[in-house]
Amino acid sequence: MRISSVKYLLKEGVKNVWVNRMMAFASIGVLVACLLMTGAATLFSMNLNMAMQTLQNDNSVTVYMANDLPTLKSVQVGEEIKKLDNVEDCEFVPKGEALEALMKSMGDDGSVFSSLLGDDNPLNDVFKVKMKDLSQYQETAKKISSLEGVYKVRDYSDVAAKLTSLDRLVTTAGFWIVLILSLVSVFILSNTIRITMFSRRLEISVMKSVGATNSFVRVPFVVEGILIGLFSGLLASGLLALIYDKTLKTITGIVPFFQPLPLGNVMGQIVLLFIAAGALFGALGGGISIGKYLKGGNSIGW
Amino acid sequence: MIEFVDVFKTYGNGTEALRGVNLKVEKGEFVFIVGSSGAGKSTFLKLITCEEAPNSGEIIVNGRKLSTVKRRDIPYVRRTMGMVFQDFRLIDKMTVFDNVAFAMHVVGASQREIKKRVPYILNLVGLKEKINCRPKELSGGEQQRVGLARALVNNPSMIIADEPTGNIDPALSFEIVGLLSEINRRGTTVLMVTHEHRLVKHFRRRVVEIHDGLVVADSCNLALEVPDEN
Repeated sequence: MRISSVKYLLKEGVKNVWVNRMMAFASIGVLVACLLMTGAATLFSMNLNMAMQTLQNDNSVTVYMANDLPTLKSVQVGEEIKKLDNVEDCEFVPKGEALEALMKSMGDDGSVFSSLLGDDNPLNDVFKVKMKDLSQYQETAKKISSLEGVYKVRDYSDVAAKLTSLDRLVTTAGFWIVLILSLVSVFILSNTIRITMFSRRLEISVMKSVGATNSFVRVPFVVEGILIGLFSGLLASGLLALIYDKTLKTITGIVPFFQPLPLGNVMGQIVLLFIAAGALFGALGGGISIGKYLKGGNSIGW
Repeated sequence: MIEFVDVFKTYGNGTEALRGVNLKVEKGEFVFIVGSSGAGKSTFLKLITCEEAPNSGEIIVNGRKLSTVKRRDIPYVRRTMGMVFQDFRLIDKMTVFDNVAFAMHVVGASQREIKKRVPYILNLVGLKEKINCRPKELSGGEQQRVGLARALVNNPSMIIADEPTGNIDPALSFEIVGLLSEINRRGTTVLMVTHEHRLVKHFRRRVVEIHDGLVVADSCNLALEVPDEN
C-alpha cells in the first residue's frame, strides 16, 4: 500500500468517528464502563495480594506468657526461645510496661487502670519473636508454644490463608468478568462499526467497483475502532485514577492502619493496559464487522 | 476482450439465471445488452465483474480465465473495467472533484496524479465548470456524466454500464450514450445494458438480446428486429 493511500485511509478513519459521533459516544460509554469494572477488579486483587504479601513477610509471632507466671520465670523462657535455631530476635515486653503503654495511649482516660498496676495486672508478659527463615515459621511457632509457661502463640498464618482464598476467588471472578466484558466490548464496538458500515455501503460499493482491495475497504473501519478504543482507554484510566483516589481517602479515613497500594505504583501499567485493551477491542470489533460484510459478496450491488 | 463459453449459472434458490451462454465481445466494440427483467442481464454483469462465479463454463476477460483468478486478485481485474450504474452511485457529501478522485485514491494514485487527471476527465465529459458542485446541485444527466468520469478516470480498457440512462430524461439519454460512443471511438470497449429501444435503434451498434438465461439474438450474427416504440 502506498504512503498516499495510508494517509488517505487514516484520514477516513478519523472522519468516520466524527461523522458517527453519537454512536462513537455510545460505544465509548460502554467500553469505559467495561474497562472500569475490569480495572476495579484488578486493583482489588492487587490490594489483596499486597496485604497478603505484607502479612507473609511479617515473619514474627507474639508469644503470651501465662498470666500467673512470675516475670523472672518469663525471662528464663525468653532465654529458651532465643536458643531456638530459627529465632533471629526476641524482644521482651513485661506486662507492667504493656499496661503503662496502654494507659498512655488512652490519654487522661488511661488513669482508670492505675489501680491495676502491680500484682493485679490482668495483662500477660509478652515476647515479640522474629524468625530467620519463613519456611520454618509454623514449626518454630509450634516449638515455642510447647515451652512451659507459654500461654498462647499468635501468628498471622490463618489471616494469610483467608486472604489467599479471597484472592483466589477475586482472581477467578476477575478473570471471568474481564473475559465476559471483553466479549461484550468487542460485540458493542463491532455493532457500532456495523452501523458506520451500513451508512457507508454506497461508498463501499463504489470502492469495490473501482477495484479496491478488501484491506483498503477494511482499514478506515479498523482505524475507527482503534480510535474509539484508545479514547475509551484514556478516559477509563483517568476515571479509575479519580475513583481509586477518592476510595482510598475514604477507606484510610475509616481504617487508619490499612496500607493500600499507592496509585502511582500501578497507574502507568493501568493506562498502558487500558489503551492496549481499548485499541485491541476496537481493531477486533472493526475487523469483524467489515470482514463479515465483505465475505457476504454482492458488494458492488448490480 | 470478453468471452463467455457455455456459461451456466444457477443460484442457491434454484433460479437458473444463465443456461449456456456463448458470447464474444472483441476489443473496441460497443455492445448493447437488451432483455426483459429477470432475463439474466444482471447475472451476466455479475459474472464479468467477478461478483459471482459460474456453475460451469468459462469466462475470459482480457485474455484471462476468470476461473483461475484468485479471490485477492479480483480487485485488480476490476481495475481494468469502469462501471457505470443506473442510480449514479455518487457520494452526496463529496464534491464532483472528490467523487471522481475517490476512484483514484482507491488504486493508490498520488495527490499530484489526482490533481492532474480529474480535471482532465471532467473536461472530457463536459463538467469542468461543475468541479466544486455537490451531486445534488446537478441534473440527472450531469450526475451520470460524473459517474462516467469516475468510471473513466483510472483509464479502464472497458466500460460496463448498467442502464445508465434509466434515471434521466430521454433527451439527456442520447447525450450520455453519445458520450459513451465518443469514449468507444477512442478505443475503450463499451458494454451497455439497456431497456431503451430508441437508443439501440438510433446508435446502430451491436445488440445482444438475453432472454430466459440464453442469448436469443445477436446482431453480430443476425440483424435484430427492434420494434419501433412510436
